[in-house]
Amino acid sequence: MRRPWRMLLAVALVPSCHTDHATAPPPPSGDSTKVVLAADVPIPPYYGMHDSFIRNGVAFICAWDSGVFIYDVGNGMKGGTPTAPVLISSIVTSQDSVTAGPSVHNAWWFWNPVTRQQKYLFVGQEGPAVGGIGVGSSGDIHVVDVSDLTHPVEVGQFHLPGAGTHNFWMDEQHQILYAAYYNGGVVSIDVSGTLAGDTLSDRLISEVYPGGGPGNTYTWGVQLYNGSLYAIDMLSGLWQLSADSAGHLAVVGGGNNVSNHYSSDLGVAGGYAYTGTWDWSRRTGKQGSVVSTWALNGSGAPTLVDTIPINQVSAISDVKVSPDGKLLMFGTEGGGNSGFYFYSLANPAHPAYVDKYLVATGIHTTKFAAINGHLYAFGAKDPSGPALIILDVTVLDQ
Amino acid sequence: MGAGTSQAQAPSVQVGAQAIPVVTETNAVPGGRAFGETRLVQPMVMVRAATGAERLVLQATGDFEGLTIKNGELTPGAWGEGFSDRRHPHTYLHEFMLFAPDILRDLPLPAHLFLGAGKGFVPFGTDDPMSRPTERFPVNHHLSQILERAQAMAGISVGPAKLEGAVFNGDEPQRPDQWPNLSRFGDSWSLRLTLEPMSGLEWEGSRAHVRSPETRDVGGVDASKWSTALRWDRPVLGRPVYAMLEWSQTQDVGAFTLRSVLFETQVSAGAHHPYFRIERTDRPEDERNPDPFRDQRPIIENSVLGLTRWTIGTLGYLVDAGRVWKIDWRPFTEASLIGIEKVGGGLFDPARFYGAERHWSVTTGVRLSWGMAAHRMGRYERMTGGEMVMPMESR
Repeated sequence: MRRPWRMLLAVALVPSCHTDHATAPPPPSGDSTKVVLAADVPIPPYYGMHDSFIRNGVAFICAWDSGVFIYDVGNGMKGGTPTAPVLISSIVTSQDSVTAGPSVHNAWWFWNPVTRQQKYLFVGQEGPAVGGIGVGSSGDIHVVDVSDLTHPVEVGQFHLPGAGTHNFWMDEQHQILYAAYYNGGVVSIDVSGTLAGDTLSDRLISEVYPGGGPGNTYTWGVQLYNGSLYAIDMLSGLWQLSADSAGHLAVVGGGNNVSNHYSSDLGVAGGYAYTGTWDWSRRTGKQGSVVSTWALNGSGAPTLVDTIPINQVSAISDVKVSPDGKLLMFGTEGGGNSGFYFYSLANPAHPAYVDKYLVATGIHTTKFAAINGHLYAFGAKDPSGPALIILDVTVLDQ
Repeated sequence: MGAGTSQAQAPSVQVGAQAIPVVTETNAVPGGRAFGETRLVQPMVMVRAATGAERLVLQATGDFEGLTIKNGELTPGAWGEGFSDRRHPHTYLHEFMLFAPDILRDLPLPAHLFLGAGKGFVPFGTDDPMSRPTERFPVNHHLSQILERAQAMAGISVGPAKLEGAVFNGDEPQRPDQWPNLSRFGDSWSLRLTLEPMSGLEWEGSRAHVRSPETRDVGGVDASKWSTALRWDRPVLGRPVYAMLEWSQTQDVGAFTLRSVLFETQVSAGAHHPYFRIERTDRPEDERNPDPFRDQRPIIENSVLGLTRWTIGTLGYLVDAGRVWKIDWRPFTEASLIGIEKVGGGLFDPARFYGAERHWSVTTGVRLSWGMAAHRMGRYERMTGGEMVMPMESR
């Protein structure tokens, strides 16, 4: 091909390679003017607080080697409120086969609609990243019987050889636990009936590798939405998986769609998915982190429609949508703009900044909880001085 | 006050001081640009106080790097205590060990028993890089030495063999004014066996288990450590020759394994001391905070982005320039060629981060010292007067 033709072809191809999406302005400087700090609860520094799960006024605080702390934050059983949480009990899950200790990372309190039991708490253990982040992982799922919240008891573990667990989602109706498993991709586990012992490995239903396996699979999180399971993979981006009522998984769309950054968490609601980036290691020369908005088309496949740049941070480490779908929240860490961020989803395709609450050491994970007519944001404050931060964000959710 | 190191019958106090003004230029920095700076490194005051006949000895070292290199010393490949590509400053109270060098001295036994407690060098691995020929620290410092810990140690020597052991706190310091976490005292241990079949030839083999060294309040991975080394320090053809070959390994349990091989030598001819060091050492690449020379601390869950392998060859030359105002002046210059490779499949890409895989570094400075000769740090035992001195010292 002669040079002029090659140049013309190159010029013609440039627009088709360009991704056409909006870019929102970065949030304004300055701190919160609207949200109210409800509580700041110190957590033992071993290493500190990592995540939380809040349901029916009970907060399960995942506190690494200190285990799980169970707080009444409005349930009433101990008189706790979001402004004055009261500790109900705690449990240190077993170290199991993981060398670094209990490493309690995340949790999900399973309300089984079939048995009407609220018996099991699934606890994720994040062990060392074998060979480094992006390569390998370790850590098991621990099953804790919390039928008596004042006396939690560990009753079983799930171990997946060669990989470690990360974030969960549940299809409670069908009694299926979905777990991101980093280099192990995504797994589905049958959690029906009675769970006990170390035999839960027999309950593995399905396992898929978004990205295809080693070198392009390191899955951070999953969320079930509108019949699809969305998986965010640090290396290969946002995927749409099919997940039937029996828990069988297959890759059906998306993927290999985030090339400038490593991906982090996701939140899905109202026909859109929102994903963050993890930039402790810069994938390219781009600074800061990004929250991306993806439209889910008729088949559920994601298309990028908007991005929000967040400067002076090293990661968007959690992304959540409020229960009523009106508010987007994400946590940031590793830089001068670390903290909570809140965006209105009045136009879900283009989130609009409403407020932020800066926390110097960073916020690792965030969760929404509706309690007694108010909307609260729960956050894991990074060390030094790790703590559970609870914000009353009701005023933002209008 | 005296400069001798042999056992004195009367109580004694020896004092010494040292400092090294240096100029370092290198392109082994994030972004790969040439980068230079002038610093005062290793400013230290050393005190050795002994009761009569050295039945009890206090060995203390004050290190003022927290004032002169608050942000570390530009050192390609250096890592640890929250720094990368800069060697961290040591704590102000670098060493404060009280020890009984020879408890069995009055008994007709062939064995010598020594006990010590305080803050100091754990019996593991090889000599501290501060007391070796090359000014810039090797990459393997955190694989081959364990220091600045609160420890209780004991040792016994019989003929050419010596066995030492210690229990200590696993946590590394995070800043110069920080004390060891005493609540963790005893959560880590080490052993070192040394054989000296002839004067000036020494072999050591060491083993240690260090609990959660990089997470002060526990919660991090443990380090399982091994070290072995051969050390030569005696004349060859009438010229003082020092050489050391070491291998060390640290397994961050359940995560990855770091290995190092290092060889260094110095051949002295009168006032002239050319030296050479080559090492190949694996390094973990931690999450860095917005300062590209600093790692995120405290560590939040997993933080290792991958491994790199550093191959550094350093050629240097030091000359004894004499004593002025009771201070010994020893100017030196050293130059390094540096290769950085990615090991395994982690996220960290050294070629992208440093702009290339081949680099260079040059350091010029003057070793200034006064008073007592630098001792072999971390040796809390009887001194016979014939033991090895440090190769950086004049003979």
